[in-house]
Amino acid sequence: MVAEGVVKTHVLVIGSGGAGVRAAIEASRYGSCALVSKTIIGKGGCTTMAEGGYNAVLREQDDCEIHYGDTMKGGAYLNDPALVRILVRESPDRIRDLVEWGAVFDLTPECHIAQRPFGGQRFPRTCYAGDRTGHEIMATLVERLGSTDVECHHEVSIIDLMTGAEGVSGAIGLDRDGEIQVFLADQTVMATGGGTRIFDISTNSTSGTGDGYAIGYRAGADLIDMEQVQFHPTGAVYPYDARGRLVTEAVRGEGGVLKNVLGERFMKQYDPERMELSTRDVVSRSIATEILEGRGTAHGGVNLDVSHLPREVIEARLPVMLEQFMRYGVDIRDVPMEVAPTAHHIMGGLRINPECRTTKAGLLACGEVSGGVHGANRLGGNALAETQVFGKRAGEYAGRSPKREVEVNRSQVAATSALLESFEQGSVSPAVMRDSLKSAMWEGAGIFRTADKLKKTLATIERLQSEQPVSRGRRGLNDCCTLRNMLGTARMIVSCALLREESRGAHVRSDIRQDWDPSSSPYGHTWISVSGMGIEQVVRA
Amino acid sequence: MKTLRVKVSRFDPQTDTGPTLVEYEVRVHEGARILHVLHAIHDTIDPTLSFRSSCEAGQCGSCAVVADGKPVLACYEEAREGMVIGPLALPVIRDLVVDLVPALNDIPGLVPKQGCQPPSYEEMEAIKPLRSCISCLACLSVCPAVSVIRFAGPTAMRQEMRLALDPRDSVDRVTQAVESGLFTCTSCQACWKVCPKDIRIPGKAIEKLRALAGLKGLTLPRHREVNELIRTTGRSVAPEGPSFLEQVDEVIEPNGEVKGTVGFFVGCMYTMRLPMTPLDAIAVLKRNGIRVIIPKEQICCGSPLIRTGQPDYVRTLQRRNIDAFAFRGIKTVMTMCAGCGSTLKHDYPETIPFRVMDISEVLLEYGIEKPARLNVRATYHDPCHLLRGQGISSGPRELISEVIDLVEMPPVCCGSGGGVRSGVPEEAHALAEKRQEEIKKTGAEWVISSCPFCEFHIAGHTPLPVKNITSVLAEGYREKDRRPHRENQA
Repeated sequence: MVAEGVVKTHVLVIGSGGAGVRAAIEASRYGSCALVSKTIIGKGGCTTMAEGGYNAVLREQDDCEIHYGDTMKGGAYLNDPALVRILVRESPDRIRDLVEWGAVFDLTPECHIAQRPFGGQRFPRTCYAGDRTGHEIMATLVERLGSTDVECHHEVSIIDLMTGAEGVSGAIGLDRDGEIQVFLADQTVMATGGGTRIFDISTNSTSGTGDGYAIGYRAGADLIDMEQVQFHPTGAVYPYDARGRLVTEAVRGEGGVLKNVLGERFMKQYDPERMELSTRDVVSRSIATEILEGRGTAHGGVNLDVSHLPREVIEARLPVMLEQFMRYGVDIRDVPMEVAPTAHHIMGGLRINPECRTTKAGLLACGEVSGGVHGANRLGGNALAETQVFGKRAGEYAGRSPKREVEVNRSQVAATSALLESFEQGSVSPAVMRDSLKSAMWEGAGIFRTADKLKKTLATIERLQSEQPVSRGRRGLNDCCTLRNMLGTARMIVSCALLREESRGAHVRSDIRQDWDPSSSPYGHTWISVSGMGIEQVVRA
Repeated sequence: MKTLRVKVSRFDPQTDTGPTLVEYEVRVHEGARILHVLHAIHDTIDPTLSFRSSCEAGQCGSCAVVADGKPVLACYEEAREGMVIGPLALPVIRDLVVDLVPALNDIPGLVPKQGCQPPSYEEMEAIKPLRSCISCLACLSVCPAVSVIRFAGPTAMRQEMRLALDPRDSVDRVTQAVESGLFTCTSCQACWKVCPKDIRIPGKAIEKLRALAGLKGLTLPRHREVNELIRTTGRSVAPEGPSFLEQVDEVIEPNGEVKGTVGFFVGCMYTMRLPMTPLDAIAVLKRNGIRVIIPKEQICCGSPLIRTGQPDYVRTLQRRNIDAFAFRGIKTVMTMCAGCGSTLKHDYPETIPFRVMDISEVLLEYGIEKPARLNVRATYHDPCHLLRGQGISSGPRELISEVIDLVEMPPVCCGSGGGVRSGVPEEAHALAEKRQEEIKKTGAEWVISSCPFCEFHIAGHTPLPVKNITSVLAEGYREKDRRPHRENQA
């Protein structure tokens, strides 16, 4: 049942996207490090799918203060200001790391890293490699990882963190054969990415199932702002199985225009100043409204058109878009793309301090699984920057931490074994349960929310949590563990969405009238942990 | 929604002796990809089916499988009724999951130089075409060389070239590539043709690295000898008797009405070593109304130099050949060597004043007189530079089937290309032996091909007669002429 041997390491990093690999690279400078991933390292997560870019202040005309202001305003001032300061200050250095390690970003003819405009930013500061920026970053990080002594554990899924009197002391995982693998570590870094796969329509990779939020919660860490889910304005709408696939913001950054079925550039009704390059929350709501009011296309989207751009611009700057749409018979050089909002990013997450430490001793977090950097709405291009800035910090602070006396929590391993056995005795198909959850989340916790719809979705989640998923043999155990995490994360999102009785950023409560704007909101973070939940009140002078 | 039936390879090496194909019937949406079919099987029929997926958008390279014999990304390829889905030809862990990690670890990484300037705009632009690899390893799974000799594989070579172009890297990539098997690539193009990102690894990485190896004096001695021979004689092989060009007139008029005129680019192997084959071709062309012009000053097309990374003299060869045909106002140049054809079509300037056609294309365009049928079973070996280099697959089969019954075998390189026969003979031999195994399985009495290198090389490894397509047609005509008139009409 328990695989031979316990992996012992100074720093254990869970997750192999941009944040996890960056953390592992950094941690390895200070001592031993193990990187564990439920996918093949480098192939999972959402970084490799990120298309548009990486925000960094690189030009004299730009300024970190402007980037800070854009990020805070875009985040409806729910962001943690200290984390945003770190993001904007360190992002340029982290892209320089990537360049030193071999990243191939697009350059201007003057040999500066090229930058394109992205939504909600007053300066074109989004660096890119065509529209495969995340892939470029991931390829660079994996190459760099290969030159370190990091011990790589591919295709091992962490079930739970191991905890003891001293806090987190490692993790308990499940290998490809369904055997338990125990990891002991002085410090554990959670870098498991996001979780919008709990929604029916999502941009996320198959690993975006919210594992880290649920695992961190069960281990006793605090999470904040879990209601804040970003719906990316532009996801594919057909064919059915490709619905939700990301259509990068770079399409609009390069000059793409949004039109309803009547041919109207409808953004002028919603944000005449910023138009298509408004923030994502605004553009998503605008598109959703157009569709709801009957001005959508036959496939239930709106048109996103680049056909007025020179063909060579599309070919050079948006090659992945061109290739992906071409696979479905749509040549975006000639005809518009049909797009609609899709669940993209969870702004909330594990509460961290500037050293990336969570509220649980021995546990750090970085990347999408952490909360606070993006507030109530993330700017396009800030997520890739976040992975590098906070990945590096998490690896560094974990690496610098002293050694501890940690030991295997036998009773917890036994409890995990019992949990897994219970799945083998379960009765309901995890796939059926998963699909019920996804529909309920899309229906009740989507772009426009009300207390009634949220409560209905919460009831569905609670019903599903009372059911017992079944695993046929040990190799299906992972599906059951993943489902458990999806349900846990969904419950936090819905619970916090009920707590926040205001519309702010991506979170819209259409059942609540408010007479304040984000900067004067009486509310701070929502928080949730095993000991309770609540919403912080802001005392204004 | 629609119903699809597919067959999926199921295999657990811990319990099964070998893979079995299992048929599933699932309901999927219109436009469903292979991956959606696999999800449907997993979710509604058998949750133990193992396969990988992650981004589901063609960016992570997790989900490559073999569908109906061809490696594809499961998230990209539309599922079809009756499709047979198996794992890549790499060690199977379970069902469609193969062991990618050892090969991924073999892909080299950049080792930064201290205090180096970032690359220039031009350098970055040169690197980019080699950078979109998603390491799905479809290329590795089809590479014939890796199955018989130590070779890091196509995408490792792609990465070596990408790093060789990068001023930030501190390692001697060229020497490393040579040590990793740079000269074992047969330039069969299989890696490029299965690449979901269309990265032309043989042309953009292997040949370029070989050219860089040449600058370091690492060109294989046998390849240098060929270079020397071409520079002194204009030919890549030495004669072993009267050449084809010495045996024919410059203009050969057809027997009857002239349906068309072609210039004939013969190529070194056919003219110097296998003159009987182009003589058969001439007989077939004459009989079918095609006037053939054979400029005698034509020389080597340059392919042996391009494939082995010795491009210096190629422009001279190109110019002389272009002039030879252009001077006579020839509008269509016909090749019958797959390698020459591919080279003229892809490695010559786009401005050449004539179109290039393989002899099979010429014969099918003008149409041929029906030959007699021979009571022979034969198999056809697809030359790499015809199948993948020129995209010609059905034409030769159509022509052959006029004469004999064809038994198919999988199209795999025989090992003679890319300078491997001369430079790495043990590999060429091993690949030809594998080819002979496939030939044997077909039960064929003849092997037919359309490339002098393939024909010559395979002939050395099979007891069966190896014939060119035009020789088969010529035999069909000779047989027709022998038989009484009435029999031919029956």
